[in-house]
Amino acid sequence: MTAAVPPTGDGLGDRRVVTLPAVPALGGLYVKGLAGVATSVVGRRLGRGSGALPDVAYEVAGVRADAARLTAYQHLVGESASDALPAGFVHVLAFPLAVAVMTTPGFPFPLVGAVHVANRVEQHREARLDEPLTLRAWSQGLRSHRAGTQAELVVTASDADGERVWTGVSTYLAKGVHLTDRPGPADDPAEERTPFVAPVPTGRWQLPADEGRLYAAVSGDRNPIHVSSLAAKGFGFPRAIAHGMDTAARALAAVGAAHGPAFVWTAEFARPVLLPGSPAVRVARDVDGFAYAVWDARSGKPHLTGTVRPV
Amino acid sequence: MPPTARQAAARATGPAPRRALVLGGNRIPFARAGGAYARSSNQDMLTAALDGLVARYGLQGETIGEVAAGAVLKHSRDFNLTRESVLGSSLAPTTPAFDLQQACATGLETVVSLANKIRLGQLESAIAGGVDSTSDAPVAVSDRLRRALLEASRARSAGARLAALAKVRPRDLAPATPRTDEPRTGLSMGEHQALTTAQWGISREAQDELALASHQRLAAAWDAGFFDDLVTPYRGQTQDGNLRRDTSLEKLAALRPTFGLALDTPATMTAGNSTPLTDGAATVLLGSESWAAAHDVTPLAAVVDAEAGAVDFVHGVDGLLMAPAFAVPRLLARNGLTLDDFAYVEIHEAFASTVLTTLAAWESEQFGRERLGLDGAFGKVDPARLNVHGSSLAAGHPFAATGGRIVATVSKELHRARVAAPGGPPIRALVSVCAAGGLGLTAILEAA
Repeated sequence: MTAAVPPTGDGLGDRRVVTLPAVPALGGLYVKGLAGVATSVVGRRLGRGSGALPDVAYEVAGVRADAARLTAYQHLVGESASDALPAGFVHVLAFPLAVAVMTTPGFPFPLVGAVHVANRVEQHREARLDEPLTLRAWSQGLRSHRAGTQAELVVTASDADGERVWTGVSTYLAKGVHLTDRPGPADDPAEERTPFVAPVPTGRWQLPADEGRLYAAVSGDRNPIHVSSLAAKGFGFPRAIAHGMDTAARALAAVGAAHGPAFVWTAEFARPVLLPGSPAVRVARDVDGFAYAVWDARSGKPHLTGTVRPV
Repeated sequence: MPPTARQAAARATGPAPRRALVLGGNRIPFARAGGAYARSSNQDMLTAALDGLVARYGLQGETIGEVAAGAVLKHSRDFNLTRESVLGSSLAPTTPAFDLQQACATGLETVVSLANKIRLGQLESAIAGGVDSTSDAPVAVSDRLRRALLEASRARSAGARLAALAKVRPRDLAPATPRTDEPRTGLSMGEHQALTTAQWGISREAQDELALASHQRLAAAWDAGFFDDLVTPYRGQTQDGNLRRDTSLEKLAALRPTFGLALDTPATMTAGNSTPLTDGAATVLLGSESWAAAHDVTPLAAVVDAEAGAVDFVHGVDGLLMAPAFAVPRLLARNGLTLDDFAYVEIHEAFASTVLTTLAAWESEQFGRERLGLDGAFGKVDPARLNVHGSSLAAGHPFAATGGRIVATVSKELHRARVAAPGGPPIRALVSVCAAGGLGLTAILEAA
């Protein structure tokens, strides 16, 4: 890590910006993340997490996508292998920075075991394979949730001129971790949602048993609950589960070129897709853009829902 | 940029469009998958159908203007399938050929493309066709194995070759069989049609009745000798192997539904009212009036016009196989015709319900107004004019061969009607074929 620079006022607030020489390797961060599980066991026993988010933002400049990895990602999620980076691929590119924020000492809950409950990406324009991107990640919005503690991981991608091309906000929930100094659950939009009624499907996905490993290979996200059914059992799932961002990226790919270069892509994750799985899918135009839903074809219960709308 | 006077003059000097005629056809009987043609390749079957046509019209050693054919399930070694079939046939080796592929519309598109070349004066004669084998379907290796093999073949040292091959895992060795699922939705064609069937509320009884009529009409045509000059036996198969002479509404009603089982509405689509996987090949002889006269061949019908269409099934706007419901109204409007102007309507029976949902859309006031932009319903097809000699439910459906089967059959029927009523008003046939990918191709034929 190199010298800190002053905050620039583009959503960073008072956070210290720590410039990293390169996007960190996820393997090492997961080791730190697992160490976090050990400390959190203590925390859980005490029934509380630390009360504040770290006031740091990590930044890496000159990040370029690797063509082979981009192609593998595009083929896996059903995108055309163009030189434009799919919105989900920018998430993947910056994911290690978000993980670095979550494994910063003092982050209120451990990375491993935290549940990705919602995601919102605003793409201002398409990022291209051949352009260097400046990526930044920080955390915000720490709050109590009925089931635990929730925080948002913010990632931005800017081009060489400093223009923002992409902003992602990932909401994570640490179940069973409660903040002693922030009592009472905050507003929970999930609880206000109308009950899910399975619509007429437009498709059905066949996700093989090794889908988690395949997405781990292109995303670097080797969270054990996605790659090993044994590890998944340890976290209370009968089998390995699909990455939420894999399924959301498939829905975005199904919308196709109709989303245009600038759009907002949201995902709310309900029940995870157990692997192998063949969930039912609907991706269709609605009043403004596209809405999608992925659900268990047999039980009719939702896996994820979301929208892709023009900015 | 507006054309210059010279460019406009150059365009005007070309020959004016003239009639393109269907002169005849020949196919091999269609066989059920794994049946009489289980060991025959696409090239074998296409060559057999071509040679039958050559024998029927005395074209041995003749150079035909161009031959166009295709297959939907195509092996990579068949990159020049049609040309190789021509070289294996008794046509002159100086006969040019090209391959074409438009899913189940392949066969009809070869007819349309070649007819257009004839109309433009680029060709005097042509053979259109198609072939498919589900028994000899290409089986590919997995993506990972393919990549490792290609990498190994590019490697410059034994060590690099070994390193490439070391990446292969046992599960990579499982073969990748061709999938009939729509790549963008993961749903099979049957599951897609089940959604459309439910949307239009098509009953099981109506589907079974259509399937029964298809078998009865095809059987009657065979019994009357109608196919004697349209089909050449092959590998011991003398009639279409899928034809069930003994089927009945009771037997069809006893079959268990196979598609749409996960929907809220009752499943209605069975193996009886859906088209089975089939092997076969079909060809159609096309030519100009002067070529027909020079070869002493009686023209059967003229290819008048054609219209392709496509629907957005990926986002659930329309059913996968509903493109013809939009293409036909455009085609008829351009030609100043209505459904009542057609003595024959041929709608490819991918499923019985494909025909019925198309007819239901045309009869719907709402569909006519909101989707077709008409004042009301597009129109109604008299069941007596629909698929008069049976269609794919009874004959089977070797994907790319179906267009040639339909065009040759209905052209012969048009000519028969013309002979029975010489000098009368035009006798027309409408041909409609739906295809994977939300495609559809439609055409107008007129008795010559």
